[in-house]
Amino acid sequence: MTETIDDALLQADGIESGYGKVQVLWGAGLAVRPGESVVLLGANGAGKTTLLKVLVGLIPAWRGAVRLGGTDITALRTDRRVRLGLAYMSELGVFPGLTIEENLRIGGQFAERAVLRARIEELFAVFPDLAGRKRALAGALSGGQRKMLGIAKALAAGPKLLVMDEPSAGLSPLFVQQVISVLGRFRAGGVGGGAGLAMLIAEQNVAFLDLADRVYTLEGGRIRFEGTVAQLHADDALHRAYFGLA
Amino acid sequence: MLIGAIVAGVVFGLYFTLVGLGLNLVFGVMRIVNLAHGDFVMLGGYAAWWLLSAFGIHPLVAAVIVLVVFVALGMPLYYLIVPQLQRARDSEMLSLILFFGLSQMIEAVATIFLGTTERSLPGRVLGIGPIIVLGARLPKPWVFSAAVSAVAVAAVYVYLYRTRLGTLTRAVMVSRDEALATGIDVHRVSAIAFGISLALAGIAGVFAPFMLGSITPDIGVGLNITAFAVIVVGTLGNPLGTVVGGIVYGVSLMLMQTYFSSWANLLPNLLLIAVLLVRPEGLFGRQVRRA
Repeated sequence: MTETIDDALLQADGIESGYGKVQVLWGAGLAVRPGESVVLLGANGAGKTTLLKVLVGLIPAWRGAVRLGGTDITALRTDRRVRLGLAYMSELGVFPGLTIEENLRIGGQFAERAVLRARIEELFAVFPDLAGRKRALAGALSGGQRKMLGIAKALAAGPKLLVMDEPSAGLSPLFVQQVISVLGRFRAGGVGGGAGLAMLIAEQNVAFLDLADRVYTLEGGRIRFEGTVAQLHADDALHRAYFGLA
Repeated sequence: MLIGAIVAGVVFGLYFTLVGLGLNLVFGVMRIVNLAHGDFVMLGGYAAWWLLSAFGIHPLVAAVIVLVVFVALGMPLYYLIVPQLQRARDSEMLSLILFFGLSQMIEAVATIFLGTTERSLPGRVLGIGPIIVLGARLPKPWVFSAAVSAVAVAAVYVYLYRTRLGTLTRAVMVSRDEALATGIDVHRVSAIAFGISLALAGIAGVFAPFMLGSITPDIGVGLNITAFAVIVVGTLGNPLGTVVGGIVYGVSLMLMQTYFSSWANLLPNLLLIAVLLVRPEGLFGRQVRRA
């Protein structure tokens, strides 16, 4: 059973879900505090993407509950959750057939026009590579640039919590470090002037632990570990599983 | 004669762009094939005939009435049919069967209530005498219909590329899954696209009596095949590629009617087969789905 955190921004408890008759999640749960950065580690097929999809409302929870800022959002559609401050970056992350600017405008579709304009300018300041190619199709970008656009598109929604599905997927180690560096700036509150952005990152690449305040590991649709990175290193079995033999 | 055939072909092509445009919009947004599309063209034609013969309403006004009514009809029809279809495992195949059934039903009901008598509208309501373009003498109703088609195509372009809702529509066309993940209300966007699609079919129907000579309840099937040829040539899922498809079809049709008139009716099927064999992605596209 996942620990319930009183001041959690996002709290998911006892999530069971799957596809058709195939159950993937067996009582999984997690919590993210405001401004906290949480990494969900797990191998391929562990159920990371399924859990994220339940959290953002892309597939229904068969059992369990999801709360955002104290509000039960278990039955809400994705668009309602986005309005409440939950943004999701899928593995694809962008619309390849639309321009960079259109992608950002769609990311911030619920914001007022003036607010969105200012937010997009701010994002272009953070991602200068994108700023110079506003009218370019997202599909014409390199894998790393596309990932940056995916992050920018999700941030255009002005979220309280950014949920990301494998931001390292398909990237070379160099680009992975760039993504981590950019996310680190957002975690520290380096953009927008406000408090740090809360992040939930599903990954199998342990390099993302550099960003983590806390870690969950997911195996066979169940949470096997929750704690700090130091506690993860201290657990011999988990250390071997995720970092190889010491 | 060659120039005349090409000019008439462009005019006809613009009209057939309008016939196929809505079909392509629905395919692009929903990945379903509305086999009843031609039947909505037919219903638009009967609406124009009824409005003119019963109330003396000009076809241009009839087109506006049809636009409003068909959008209002299309949106609930979407919610009634499409979300259920999309939950099915093989939604594209199921859509063929379901909309074929709907097509048959519309045709049967239309036959019961309207009969099989051919209905036509006097060309003079859209103007008398020919218009001469590059030496080709074109009937005024053809030019009028083509002009309305061009305006409708331009309106769809403005909607897709200059409005917020249009950008969201293109996003759904690019990736429905990513659209859902971004929080786009995909059903609302799709319902509006479905309504617009039926309205485009209805407006094409208003001018069908002028372009086709007359209408009967069974014209839907033939119009569907033609619309398919147009959108396959112009690229499936790319509404604006339909313009290319429509003009290629129109010019080919007029050249066939000029030089090989007895073979002209084969043209839609020939074009379909040729494009599917040689360039299945269409003349205008590199892939099946792009915005």
